Amino acid sequence: MTGIEPALLAAGDAGPVVASLLSDLLDVGTLVGIVLGALSKAALYVLIAAGLSLIFGLMGVLNFAHGSFTMLGAYLGGAVMVVLVSSGTGPYARIALFFLAMAAVFGVMTAFGSAVEKRLIRPIYDRQPLFQILLTFGVVLVLDELVRIVVEVRGMQPRSDWQEALGTAPGFLQNTITVAGSTTRGLYMFEVLIGAMVVAVTWGFLTRTRYGLYIRAGSEDSEMAQALGIDIRKAFSVVFGVGSGLAAVAGVMLMWDPRFGASVPLSTDALLIAFVVVIIGGLGTFRGTVVAGLLVGLFDAVTTWLFHSAYVDFAGLPEMVMFLALVLVLIVKPQGLFGVEEVGGH
Amino acid sequence: MAISDDRQSPDARSGDVTERPPAEEGEDPTSDVERGGEASADDAATAERSLRRTLSEHRVHAAVVVAMGLYPPLYQLLISTPLGAEFAVVLPPVRTMVAVLYVGLFAMSFDFISGYTGYLSFGHSLFYGTGAYLVVLAATGKLPGLSAGTPFMGLLLLGGILAALIALLVGTVSFRLTGVYFAMITLGFAEVAHVFIRNWDHVSPSPQDGANIGGDVGAFQIGVPGVDTLSVGIGRLVGDSYENLFGTGIEFNEAMVSFYAVGAVVLVSYFAMQRIVHSPFGRVMIAIRENEERARAIGYDTYRFKLVAFAISGFFAAVAGALFAGFRRSVGPSSTFDLFVTADALLAAIIGGFGTLAGALYGHLFHEFLGGILSTESHGLSRYLRENLPPDLLNAEVAGVPLLDVVNVLIDGRAELYLGLVFVLFVLYVPKGILGTIRDRIGGTAAEHLPGHVRKYFRDRR
Repeated sequence: MTGIEPALLAAGDAGPVVASLLSDLLDVGTLVGIVLGALSKAALYVLIAAGLSLIFGLMGVLNFAHGSFTMLGAYLGGAVMVVLVSSGTGPYARIALFFLAMAAVFGVMTAFGSAVEKRLIRPIYDRQPLFQILLTFGVVLVLDELVRIVVEVRGMQPRSDWQEALGTAPGFLQNTITVAGSTTRGLYMFEVLIGAMVVAVTWGFLTRTRYGLYIRAGSEDSEMAQALGIDIRKAFSVVFGVGSGLAAVAGVMLMWDPRFGASVPLSTDALLIAFVVVIIGGLGTFRGTVVAGLLVGLFDAVTTWLFHSAYVDFAGLPEMVMFLALVLVLIVKPQGLFGVEEVGGH
Repeated sequence: MAISDDRQSPDARSGDVTERPPAEEGEDPTSDVERGGEASADDAATAERSLRRTLSEHRVHAAVVVAMGLYPPLYQLLISTPLGAEFAVVLPPVRTMVAVLYVGLFAMSFDFISGYTGYLSFGHSLFYGTGAYLVVLAATGKLPGLSAGTPFMGLLLLGGILAALIALLVGTVSFRLTGVYFAMITLGFAEVAHVFIRNWDHVSPSPQDGANIGGDVGAFQIGVPGVDTLSVGIGRLVGDSYENLFGTGIEFNEAMVSFYAVGAVVLVSYFAMQRIVHSPFGRVMIAIRENEERARAIGYDTYRFKLVAFAISGFFAAVAGALFAGFRRSVGPSSTFDLFVTADALLAAIIGGFGTLAGALYGHLFHEFLGGILSTESHGLSRYLRENLPPDLLNAEVAGVPLLDVVNVLIDGRAELYLGLVFVLFVLYVPKGILGTIRDRIGGTAAEHLPGHVRKYFRDRR
């Protein structure tokens, strides 16, 4: 069976199929399940895309190394957890250590991101945007390969998830919980919490701090911001650093999630997700990124449900819908759902 | 970007003669033929001159083709010398050279659209995959209306046309965007196809691993369809091989036969693209790259030019994909529709020279050359070192780590790391790539200006 045949079948006797689909969908347990699934995926998507949104919004640089920073964050966070957590560590201590790992990885990767910006990207701002894509893509090749070397030397499989790091999650997060007749994992709810926290902190950073002001000003009109005395070069460095740090924070979260896990291919997966969410949301709007993350999460939950309840016999549907959404948004509203045309002059 | 100083092609030349700055042509004897404005006096003489000029313009092309043609026997010869093991480490084997040809063609098709019009086609693997999957699906009888016995040349053409049509569809909506947005939408289309092909169980029971062509299907024939004596079969194990060809005593194994057959298709494709790039159409492509608004202001319908260029590029990308499938006889999503397949073309085009067409092939040659030396296979450097260095040296410690571990970690299969580093260095310091830098130095395409420079060099030495 192909993915197309069921659709053709459905066209033949559309009435009953649609009716049974609707009656299945309108069940309270199903709806709650879909909403919970959508929220947990959306939280991860926003986490992954937040850093890229800041960088792309201010600098117009489409950072291809974003996914690699996430992957690096996953491994670094996993390393911290594996070293610090022993079998005797209690669940709340594990949560505390998790936040510690997150803070440490954020610090390290922010410094690393700033260094990458200063050493590699700054020399090519005056060239075509193409070269920024090329350069960050080169960083992907080098970083992924370096991580692969380290992982292999440590005797682990770079392509499969890091089980040891997955195992450091406390038991109560790994268990399933029941919410209004629908089961979900404790971890997924924890992810929603982390996602909301990161959104709140980033929001605060953008609206309450001096650098947030610079970013918003620079996204509107970087030349004008410069003319008003903002050191835009320094702002670029800080933003690239913070964006990289956020990418790595997402990685630390994914390291605990069995649907992702720390692995080298995570780099590409995270990158594509970040691209889709940022482009759908629109250039230079953090709000757009959050809404786009929620939307893509909802698409994902609905299409996953369609597949699991055998309405569609095509396992790739959720992923495909994600990229179709990207293509459609670019066709219909290239500046994204919340973007304004020509913002940032890129 | 100043790679735009390509010279006019012979067909676009007549109106252009007077515009050429004579100083630049000083060292080029072929232009003496050209400079007589009264050349139209005698048709026969003009034709002869034009032919001679065309021939002289292609001396460098001819030299490259001859060098490539001589490579397989030379390789056989060198690895049978006493230094054979060392040569085997450095020189790519012939079967790798086949990959250089078809991936090189793919990289050239990528450069054709991205390097010449400036629109980065980040989803170019879409067309490569189309060509590759068409061949495998047709050969396994899974495409309705195409019998399993369809000639390979027909499949090449069909794949190309299908990809060109897809390119027209994709381009119609994509060329309204520019810059990173164009890169993103083409990437989006390719990823949709990637996800689809990874889950389409019509391909094989496990579509994520792709499909193979069984041994019951004969070798794919390149040549004149239906005429056995004018076609040869390609493929690593099933292709044709000739012992003692024409009584010369030279043995042609499967890889060598495939190399020449695939090489012929790549050569024809290259010249087709090279002609287009040097035609008035190509000048408009470059104008779009340099300043699209201005090109539009002059009166060119740039949208239509971009579309046609994209379709041509997609056509040759699919031909490359079909050659890949025909030679390897197995396809998988990760070797066709994947983002990293496009990345290979990108690497090749940047290292070889963005917007130089032929440079992409050299760029990929460099990739495979490095990959061969650093590979884990029997001819790789790490295997050679482990087998040929004395054990006590291998166990000697470098900064507390045995040398053997250093070799295993830093050399064994690490081509991607060094290639990534080379790529970053090229983007930063050699943005025009190998061929682009050479062109800057000699003031034009290598095909036209290199012979003059070589002659000048020898004349100065005398």
